[in-house]
Amino acid sequence: MLARPTSHSSALGPGCAGPSLANPVSFDAPPKHQAQQPTSGAAPFMVEPSALAHQGGGEPTKRTQVPYVTGTSVLGVTYKDGVLIASDTLGSYGSTKRYKSVARLKKVNASTIIGAGGELSDFQYIMTLLDELTTDDYCMDDGVVLSPREIYNYMTRVMYNRRNKMDPLWNSLVICGFQDGKPFLGTVGMIGTHYTDEHVATGFGNMLARPLFRERHHPDMSEAEATKLLHDALRVCYYRDKNSINKFQMAKATAEGVTISEPFSLETNWEYKHFRDPTLNAVGAW
Amino acid sequence: MSGIGTGYDLSVSTFSPDGRVFQTEYAQKAVDNSGTVVGLRCKDGVVLGCEKTIISKMLVEGSNRRTYAVDRHAGMAVGGVAADGRQIVNRASSEAQQYKSFYGDIIPGHVLAERTASYVHLFNLYWYLRPCGSAALIAVYDRDGPQLYLVEPSGTGHRFFGTAVGKGRTAAKNEIEKLKLEELTCRQGVLEIAKILHNVHDEEKPFEMELAWICDESNREFQRVPADMVTEANTKAKAAKDDSDMED
Amino acid sequence: MFRNQYDTDVVTWSPQGRIHQIEYAMEAVKQGSASVGLKNKTHVVLATLKRAPSELSAYQRKVFKVDDHMGVAMSGLTSDGRSLCRYMRNECLNHRYVYESPMPTTRLVRQIADKAQVNTQRSWKRPYGVGLLTAGSDKTGPKLFYNCPSGNFYEYRAMAIGARSQAAKTYLERHFEAFDGCTVDELIRHALRALSASVTDGELTAANCTVALVGSDTPFVILEDDDLEPHVAAFKDQDDGADGGDAGEMAVDGQAAGAGEADDAAPMDT
Repeated sequence: MLARPTSHSSALGPGCAGPSLANPVSFDAPPKHQAQQPTSGAAPFMVEPSALAHQGGGEPTKRTQVPYVTGTSVLGVTYKDGVLIASDTLGSYGSTKRYKSVARLKKVNASTIIGAGGELSDFQYIMTLLDELTTDDYCMDDGVVLSPREIYNYMTRVMYNRRNKMDPLWNSLVICGFQDGKPFLGTVGMIGTHYTDEHVATGFGNMLARPLFRERHHPDMSEAEATKLLHDALRVCYYRDKNSINKFQMAKATAEGVTISEPFSLETNWEYKHFRDPTLNAVGAW
Repeated sequence: MSGIGTGYDLSVSTFSPDGRVFQTEYAQKAVDNSGTVVGLRCKDGVVLGCEKTIISKMLVEGSNRRTYAVDRHAGMAVGGVAADGRQIVNRASSEAQQYKSFYGDIIPGHVLAERTASYVHLFNLYWYLRPCGSAALIAVYDRDGPQLYLVEPSGTGHRFFGTAVGKGRTAAKNEIEKLKLEELTCRQGVLEIAKILHNVHDEEKPFEMELAWICDESNREFQRVPADMVTEANTKAKAAKDDSDMED
Repeated sequence: MFRNQYDTDVVTWSPQGRIHQIEYAMEAVKQGSASVGLKNKTHVVLATLKRAPSELSAYQRKVFKVDDHMGVAMSGLTSDGRSLCRYMRNECLNHRYVYESPMPTTRLVRQIADKAQVNTQRSWKRPYGVGLLTAGSDKTGPKLFYNCPSGNFYEYRAMAIGARSQAAKTYLERHFEAFDGCTVDELIRHALRALSASVTDGELTAANCTVALVGSDTPFVILEDDDLEPHVAAFKDQDDGADGGDAGEMAVDGQAAGAGEADDAAPMDT
């Protein structure tokens, strides 16, 4: 990482565009002495003056308070020699199925994939952050590239830093990859909450898919088994989540690298008894 | 007229009576005295090559870099003071990144060259700065195809078909003029640069070649030329030189 | 005019295309007592000679830990070096905060070099008067760098800087090709022997030198005084045992096993 202005600002912390103070290029007369500022992160308690502007009687600063175009769950499971994650390709505008071919799984570098739910414009912004980091790695050309775990940690800092500025990025992320001969799978929430596990799911998927994972997942399952498990979980999500469509993508990270599949759809069956008579067991419904 | 001792050559913000800025010229000297750097724009891409004298046998091979990627589609080779060159590289890569975040597209070659030149030029404007002692050859592959630019310590930037800076620049430029650049492929260009560098290098000191290119073969990304190709070009160039020495 | 007009300012080029102020700053490195660095396939060793300003004072420290995986040895203006070291510590800490991983050595060294360059291009600044040997171990392996006041940096397999460092350098140049196959103890002994070539007065003792070590499974550790004593003793034994300068190579092999026992207790093994 070079000491220069990036979207990963040293002054405002990860995930905020701004100046780098570590090595400023100044053509003006001798600068006043300044305390050394970090070139990366480390300012979680810094308060931005504009955040306090309304106390002086001005307009309060507007932040993203409601997401507009959103994606739903992302699911992920590890298996014997890699990790799989999957999501549908819908961008919902409220409950309108507005954009039906949005790729919500993206390659970050040769060993890492990120999947996102939540506000899709924020996800696009996150991708510009990560692209800057990978381009930096490319330019340095010193054999050092960010590992999946480092990208995961970076994202936890970005999300937490933005929530501390009362300006969160409205996303739930799944980050997966292959590192040190082992699969890596983790998730980051919109306020910086994070954990790694052998199977993860964001949003609705956390309720719908994870019970299935808990029942059927084991770390040394084969790729075919893991694919089957994910397909079943996606199908359940599609059945019960109204903000989803039957068009999915699946991404794989193994020792060979990462791949993202073409969109596909799943066989569905709407003839189940409870689907035909949804109020069967719901007393009081009509 | 020499400026030495007249007092007109001590500051970059002083003109001499005949209208020259000596400090800028002295900075150019730093480039002229150091290792040769050659750039060729071939029909399918750009190749850059640097001659690096090996200052110690304990240096790790390939360290002490002279070619740098600035973005995926652009890169530089710097001649002269390496530390100043790195500063130019850093500026160029942040220009490339800012352009991308502002316009959402890769920076075009002429914009990158112009902005880099403006940056280098700034150091010629104030008494409290000194001009950079390095020249940058910029290789870009954008939608207008492959391009080669040269930015000099004075802040001038020109587009070239082929050019050279450093100690052996005159001889190197002569050889470049003999090439048919519009028919040459980058693969051939690598060998030609190797030959040129071997020809202009004075025999005594050992040297290392650093080659980088951007062409279809490198996926239109700025990369170091693969090691086996450099070795091959090196042996061929050496053989060619020995042959011509025999004839002499 | 007697005086060189071109050497008082860092923003003045000489007619030959040189900047004397930078060259003078590089002389400052040669005023400081020697530092050497060398590496094998897994570890990097730094060794320095220390000076004390008076008999009553302690020795000036010249080796500093930056992070678990990195440290520096310096020759020249130690105060300049310490401010660079503070910057490096800060950068490593921030890298750990953001990525929860050690900062890659190459990147930090380049950043330091860029920082040093700025000092060579502003009239209100002066170049750093210190040479920095950085030893680091990260996922790309053990690394040894030399950062120069000019803003240049070089990656070395072995290097010596500081006063009378040429003697140490000569030793290293004669032996560096064998370092890759050395054990850590042998590497330390090579470091001490290189360093002893640069001793100006008296002889090398555990009191006037410092050794530091970092490797893939060894966090950066500084060996001084009691911790260093066994290594210095082993190195002395060996040199006494050897007939002359060049027979030393034999002595390394002959005595390595015996000396190794004493070294097992050394803290660097932990």
